[in-house]
Amino acid sequence: MAKIRADNVKKTFKIKKEGNEFDELPALAGVNLEIDPGEFMVIVGPSGCGKSTFLDLVGGLTHPDEGTIAIDGKPITGPSRDRAIVFQQNALFPWRTTLGNVEFGLESINPDQDERREIALDYLSLVGLSGYHNHYPHQLSGGMKQRVSIARALALNPSIMLMDEPLAALDAQTREFLQRDILRISKESRKTVLFITHSIDEAVFLGDKVAVMSARPGVIKRVVDIPLTAEERASDDVVAATEFVQSRQLLWRLLKEEVVKVEEAQSNIHAEDHSNSLLLDKKTGLINSVRAFARI
Amino acid sequence: MVSDKFVKKLKTFALKSSAIVAFVLLWEAAPHLGLIDPIFIPPPSVIAVKLYQLLLSGELLVHTAASLERVFLGFIIALAIALPLGFLIGGWFKTFETAVDPLLQVLGQANPFTLFPVFMALLGIGELSKIGIIYWVCQWPVLFNTVSGIKSVDPVYIKVGRSMGLTKFNLFKKVLLPAALPAIFTGIRMSAVFAFFMLIGAEMIGAHSGLGFLIIQSQAVFNMPKMYASIVSVALLGIAINYIMIKFERKAMSWKEDIAA
Repeated sequence: MAKIRADNVKKTFKIKKEGNEFDELPALAGVNLEIDPGEFMVIVGPSGCGKSTFLDLVGGLTHPDEGTIAIDGKPITGPSRDRAIVFQQNALFPWRTTLGNVEFGLESINPDQDERREIALDYLSLVGLSGYHNHYPHQLSGGMKQRVSIARALALNPSIMLMDEPLAALDAQTREFLQRDILRISKESRKTVLFITHSIDEAVFLGDKVAVMSARPGVIKRVVDIPLTAEERASDDVVAATEFVQSRQLLWRLLKEEVVKVEEAQSNIHAEDHSNSLLLDKKTGLINSVRAFARI
Repeated sequence: MVSDKFVKKLKTFALKSSAIVAFVLLWEAAPHLGLIDPIFIPPPSVIAVKLYQLLLSGELLVHTAASLERVFLGFIIALAIALPLGFLIGGWFKTFETAVDPLLQVLGQANPFTLFPVFMALLGIGELSKIGIIYWVCQWPVLFNTVSGIKSVDPVYIKVGRSMGLTKFNLFKKVLLPAALPAIFTGIRMSAVFAFFMLIGAEMIGAHSGLGFLIIQSQAVFNMPKMYASIVSVALLGIAINYIMIKFERKAMSWKEDIAA
């Protein structure tokens, strides 16, 4: 049975306008996705396609308007400690030490203070931060903060890890180190992972499968298998492997169409304001967006 | 080297106190040089002697105690009412907040000195009206800062708490409250300053004890050194209270990088 199964999940946001009027903003238009136990599933998609919305739904923080998400066959009714979330950035509590942050989720489960401390210290060393337990978040680098966030989620011993662009704000080197650690930890602890990213390279490197989401309102356009073994991923020149390059090209092609759609939609809005500069805007907009994606 | 450090500290201290020393020296010299009339502005040495006498006779202590009691009571009542109210308005009742916010803003903006006669009419000229007006001025900074502190808690912290299955009460205790604490403390510190302003004003209008009374009474009997001694006492007390508040704040929020004095 699938660990996570989303059936025709729809979500529309209401955006408040002046007075009591609302604009409807469809975010998800029927998402279908199956994730097997222990699988590392990555979702990529253009900005604003509803990736994070979907992750919030799986986390149980919001409810779908239509459709269901089931974990081990049981529909989600709300948040659960079995589905821990790692957020984008700055989600650590600044008033707690590193240790206090990792202990946070344990406090409502485990009343034994010494045991909590021990568990938290273990997870801190697992993410490579032993010796930093008395530091406050503002004393840590961006990469270290995200390591603490990961330790905080792992400390709950969830079977599912939901990761919402956890590495987006980090520099390239830190990012690569963390990617390797995330891969190692998730495989060692046999977690089912749902990971969201903008970066195609990151998706190919981490994912057993990569789901490509369409432009808003989001649906899963295609799920791509990444034929890389754990040993191949561990190698330093995995990015040069044929499978890596081919997967990357395929994903890039799928994604490019969606990015172009987003750009066109934006250019059209633009065109209404400045009809005379339409052509130029559209062209430069497209070129810029393609460049931006190539950089990632 | 330790001595180097010590010399450096000494130099900083000397530089920082230079303006104060120059001011006091100029003030001391001015009456002797005939620049100001010592009857109206006595030199600091005369004031210092008077302050010492007031301290020895116990008169200063009695009035300081009376003042502090009023400030303390008004301040505590304000905290007891404004903090829970701020949590409720900021955290739970969004519609209620929209409805009452304009009214609270107007009430908070009203000049409290103009309201003092109202308090006297309602609560008499005794202690109650003074404590009442101090409570009144203290509650606004606490209330407004608590509401905005709770409202501006980063939603991601709440998401983290919810994702870990926290109950509503624990979400408040472990996430909202600590996240809003810096703003709440700003309100508390502001209200301590306001309390002092209002106290002296209230004691000048109708009182038989307190530092404000001491100032206005000394002026009435033309005892200028005593008046200035009382003014200096009020200033020193204000500095002391601000110092205590900052110490307390630092202790409560040791995780903060720096709290400006």
